[in-house]
Amino acid sequence: MKPVKRRSFLKTGVTAAGTALVQTPLAAADAASPAATVIVVHGTDIPKMLEAGIAKLGGWQAFIRTGMDVVIKPNVAWNSKPEQGGNTHPDLVRACVLAAEKQGAATVSLPENTCHPEKATFQASGIAAALEGTRGRLYRPAKQDYGEAEIPKGKIVKRAFVPKDILNCDCLINMPVAKHHSGATLTLSMKNWMGSVSNEDRRAWHRDGLHQCIADINTFLRAKLVVIDATRIMLTKGPQGPGELAHPYEIILSTDPVAADAYAVTLFKKTPFDVPHVRIAHEMGIGCGDLAKIRVERVEA
Amino acid sequence: MFTRRNLLRLVLFVLCALAAAGLMPEAWRRGSVLLPGLSPLLSLGGALAARAAGVLTLLGLPLLILPLFAGRFFCWRLCPMGFAAETVSRINRRNTGWIRKIPFVGKGLALLILGSAAAGWPVLIWTDPLSVFNGFFAAARQPLTWLSAATASGFILILLASLIVPNLWCHRLCPLGGLQEWLSQLGKSLRSARCAKEGDEIPPLLTHARTGRRVFLGFALGGVSGSLYRAYAPRRVTTDTDCGGTHSCGGRHGHGPGEGEAGQRRRMGRGSGAGLPIRPPGAVQQAFNALCARCGNCMTACPYGLILPDLGTTGPDGLFTPVLAFRNLNPQQEQFCFQECTACTQACPTGALRPLTVARKQQTAIGLAHICRNKCIAWKKGEYCVVCQEFCPYQAIREVERNGVMCPIVDADKCRGCGACESQCPALPIAVTIRGRDPQTVLAHPSPALHT
Repeated sequence: MKPVKRRSFLKTGVTAAGTALVQTPLAAADAASPAATVIVVHGTDIPKMLEAGIAKLGGWQAFIRTGMDVVIKPNVAWNSKPEQGGNTHPDLVRACVLAAEKQGAATVSLPENTCHPEKATFQASGIAAALEGTRGRLYRPAKQDYGEAEIPKGKIVKRAFVPKDILNCDCLINMPVAKHHSGATLTLSMKNWMGSVSNEDRRAWHRDGLHQCIADINTFLRAKLVVIDATRIMLTKGPQGPGELAHPYEIILSTDPVAADAYAVTLFKKTPFDVPHVRIAHEMGIGCGDLAKIRVERVEA
Repeated sequence: MFTRRNLLRLVLFVLCALAAAGLMPEAWRRGSVLLPGLSPLLSLGGALAARAAGVLTLLGLPLLILPLFAGRFFCWRLCPMGFAAETVSRINRRNTGWIRKIPFVGKGLALLILGSAAAGWPVLIWTDPLSVFNGFFAAARQPLTWLSAATASGFILILLASLIVPNLWCHRLCPLGGLQEWLSQLGKSLRSARCAKEGDEIPPLLTHARTGRRVFLGFALGGVSGSLYRAYAPRRVTTDTDCGGTHSCGGRHGHGPGEGEAGQRRRMGRGSGAGLPIRPPGAVQQAFNALCARCGNCMTACPYGLILPDLGTTGPDGLFTPVLAFRNLNPQQEQFCFQECTACTQACPTGALRPLTVARKQQTAIGLAHICRNKCIAWKKGEYCVVCQEFCPYQAIREVERNGVMCPIVDADKCRGCGACESQCPALPIAVTIRGRDPQTVLAHPSPALHT
C-alpha cells in the first residue's frame, strides 16, 4: 500500500515471478476452473504445517521480500490461555514472524486492539513470550497510532480508524483463530479486522448492522495471505470462552479471505452462507464463498 | 530555610506526593498505602471500627510508640503535611499571637475519632492529615475539574489556614498531632513517675487525674457520637428514575430518556447511572462512609481509572467516597473492573475496602447488570450484537434466540457487576447498566477460571 515502495519493488523485476505465482489460481478463475484455492494443512507441528502450506502457495518469496514492512494480524483479544482457543496459537505467530525475518522484512509489527487489558492478554495468550528473541513488535495501538481510512466500496462503513502500520505496510498477513462468536456466528479471517479498528468503529458497526460492516472493511483491508488457525476451535461460549473445544489440527491458508472463511465454516458443521458476512462478502465480490467453486487442497505435515 | 533537617522533609514530601499521585515505578506503586497507613487514626482506628485487623494495621504502631519517647518527632521532622503547613506558615510573620487564644482542638478530635471508631462508626476520620495530603495528590493526577478540585480542597484549606494563622494546623487542629501530644504527655508523666521513686520530684497527681478525666470524657464522647452516627446514619439518596420508555425492562435505572453517549459521559463521577452506587470490590458492608478516609488511594490504584469521588449518590455523609463509573473519558481503554485486578482493595489504609485475593474478588459481586430491552440492539432492532455477552468474563449473560438473532439475558446468580457489558454496549442510548449491590455478595458460581 506504499506506492513508492511498490514501484521501486517492481523495478527490481523480481515481483513478476511472485505475482504470477500468487495470481495463477485467481487469474484462471473463469467458468471451468476454481475461483479460489484453499490449502488445508493437517498435522501437529505448527511451524512445519505453516511451511508446508506456504510451499503450496509458492513459498514465502511470493509474499515477503527484503526490506518490506510486514504486518501480521493475529487474534489476541482475550485474556485466555493458548489451549483455550480464544487467541491465535503463539507457535503459529512465532513461526510467521521468524519466516518474515528470514525473508529480510524491514519491520514486523503486530498491532492488536485487545478487548482485555493488553498486558494481561499478551502474556496469557503466550504470544508475548513467543515473540521474545524476534523482531516482532506486538502492541496495542494508542490514539495517535490510528489513521483514518476511507472505504469507498463500503456500503455502510465509509471511513474507519485503522492502525497506521496497517495502512502503510507492504505485506499484510491475516492470522485469526477460528472460533464461535455469539454476535457474528463465527469469527474467522474477515471478522478479525474488528480487532484492528478503533473502539468507536467497533461500537458503531454493532449498531449499524454488524455483518455488512464486516464485509465493508474487507473491501478495504485485504491481506496478501490469510492463515486461519484451526488447530483447536472453540465451539461454544465464543469469542471469549472458555467453551467447548474441538481439535481439527488444521491450518487453513489462502489468498482469498472469503474462501478461507468458507472452508473454515465447515469445521463447525455449518455451510458458508450460514454466516451472514461470508454470504454478503461473496455477493459483493470480495472473494469466493461458494464451496463448489473453491479448490481445497489438503496437505499432511 | 533549607537546612539539612528541612531537606530530609522535602525529600520525604516529594516521595510521598509521588506515591500518592501514583507516579512511582510500577513495582513500588503499592507503597501508596504506606503513608496514610502510618497514621494510627486511620490504620488502628479503621481496624477498631471494622473489627478486623490485618498486616496493614501494624503500620500504625510506630506512631503510637514513638511519641512516648520522642514527643512529636514525626510532626516536626517527617510529616509531609506538616512540612507544607509549616513552610506556608513562614510566609506570614505577623499574627503569631492569635494562636494562643485557640484551644488544641486536635487533641479532642483524636479522642473523638478513636472513641467513635471503638463504637464502629468513626466520625471525622477524614480529617487525618496524612489522608488529606494523600487525597490532594491523588486528585492532582486527575484532570482538573471542579470535582477534583473539591476533593483536593482539604489540603488547600490547611495551607490557607496556615497563611492566616501561622502553625494553626499543626499546633491546634491536627488530630494526628493531637494524638501524639496525648502520647507524649503520657510518656512524660510515666518518666516523671519513675523519677519520683528516686525522690527527686513529686508528680503533679492532680494534673494527671484531670488529664485522665479529659481523655476518658473525650473518648466517651467519641463513643456516643459514633453510636449516634450509627443510629441516625443518613439514608443513601438513590438516583432511581424511570427508564423513560413504556416497556418491560421491569426496572429503573438512572439515565434519562433519549440521553446520547455524550450525555452519559458527561455524567461521569455520579456513579454509573444505576440506582445504587457501585462500590469498589471489598467494600465493608456497614459504615463505609464512616470508615472511608477519602485518601484517594483506591482511585489512584485503579489501573483503568474507574473509581471516582462520589457527589451525593451515597448520602450526604458519602461525599467524595469512591464509586465506580464504567464509562470514563478514554474510549480506547478498558472501562470495566478487570477480573484479575485487586489493586484498589490493597490500597485502603482504613480497611473500608478489605484486601481481596484474586479468587475472592472473582466471587464478589459488586453490582448487577440490567438490560433495557427497549434500547437493546438485539431485542429492539433484531440485529446481531450481544457484545455484552462477548465481553462478560463470568459468562453471566445468556442468549436466547429470537427470530434468528441472539438476545441477551442477565443471569443474576453469575453477574458480578464488573461493568464489561456496560462499558462496551454499543447501543445509543446505552442498553446495559450496572446497579450497585449493597451489600456486596459473594457468589457461589465459580469464575470460569481463565487462569487457575
